[in-house]
Amino acid sequence: MWTRLCNLLFTVNPLNTSLAKLPQNSYGAKPSLASSFATSKVVQNSEKSFQEVRVDMADMKVETKPVVLITNVGSCVAICIHDSVNKSGGLAHIMLPDSKITKNDVLVSKYADTAVPALAEALRKSGRSSFGLSAKIAGGANMFSNLKANSLNIGEKNVEAVKEALENNGIKLLAEDVRGTCGRRVAFNIVTGKVHVRCGNKEVTEI
Amino acid sequence: MTESVTTKNVEQSPEEVDLGIVLELGSIGAGHAATSLSEIFQEPISIEVPKIHTMPPHMVPSHYKKHDVPTTAVYMQLRGEAECDILLMFEVEEAKKIAAMMNMVESPDDVDPDMEASAIDELGNIVIGSFLTALSDFTGANLVPNPPERATDSFDAILDSFLIKQMLSSDMAMLFDTQFKRADGNISGILMMFPSRDLQRTLTEKAKSWVS
Repeated sequence: MWTRLCNLLFTVNPLNTSLAKLPQNSYGAKPSLASSFATSKVVQNSEKSFQEVRVDMADMKVETKPVVLITNVGSCVAICIHDSVNKSGGLAHIMLPDSKITKNDVLVSKYADTAVPALAEALRKSGRSSFGLSAKIAGGANMFSNLKANSLNIGEKNVEAVKEALENNGIKLLAEDVRGTCGRRVAFNIVTGKVHVRCGNKEVTEI
Repeated sequence: MTESVTTKNVEQSPEEVDLGIVLELGSIGAGHAATSLSEIFQEPISIEVPKIHTMPPHMVPSHYKKHDVPTTAVYMQLRGEAECDILLMFEVEEAKKIAAMMNMVESPDDVDPDMEASAIDELGNIVIGSFLTALSDFTGANLVPNPPERATDSFDAILDSFLIKQMLSSDMAMLFDTQFKRADGNISGILMMFPSRDLQRTLTEKAKSWVS
């Protein structure tokens, strides 16, 4: 049923942007969600087509090819760092604020304090010059109040830790879409530096 | 990604916790839940052979590969002598169909959002309640459920808070899952259980006392 719906939507209108304007109810089949159901697809754009590359949880990716990096975050935070000089960018999907929480963990992209320098370093290595690094962040929601009451406010802590890490590494924070109670789908165009965020089942916004 | 992922549906005990016991417990709970669901829908509901997964928490989303799938989830937290998070997840379309059946309307499009929300909450209560009964009977622990909470979002976004919570206490996530199926073969839902370290220990001790 779901697949059939997706197929239908694709055939009727393959354009992401115009689908998002169709009427929808709060729990309904959201056309924009439906179109993103396929795991790999090409985003239609007025100028160019971009390949979507998914960044897994606790992972980070740095790209120099023209792609859109995507990830889904709830309490996690997506850190998008854009290099405006080299037209490259990287996205880290962090889960925890501080790498000191656990011992002997080698996965730097899991923690706010280690992911930011790792991302910046990877971008510097990939480019000819290191100027023009800027960041946009999204995530840090608290979707379930029982969880929040019980196990500290991890979303909030993640956001704070990311901001601190950006400041420590001298990277300017240009925009943010954080906190709240909805999960976010983040799409980061590494060429333009634009980040499209869809919060829950609302419309896509650009930050 | 070189880290190991183990998925077990037979006993194969790791260092601390006897997975077979958790699996047995989960199966009893899932059996109860399937019976209640069959009564509600007036049609046979079958469950898949339940599985226990132990893997690093951050690997869970890539295990399910449902990243962007719009999902409706009911979450209930059990507290008291032991703690456990239980999640019941449906694809949004599936949740609508279930709500239509529970509200006795023909088409999923005829269900208004409020009716759907309360139907899904109620379903969560029933399924998770069955689990709670199995858990209390088995452990003898006094468990109190918090009221259910519902969220509709992408699969990954719903899961991540629970994975973070597990990550705070352990390098490995332990999660139990089973799938409910209606007679027509449509996958209806995934039930996940995240036992806390305390509960894992309680279960293991209980199992030992049975054996000796």
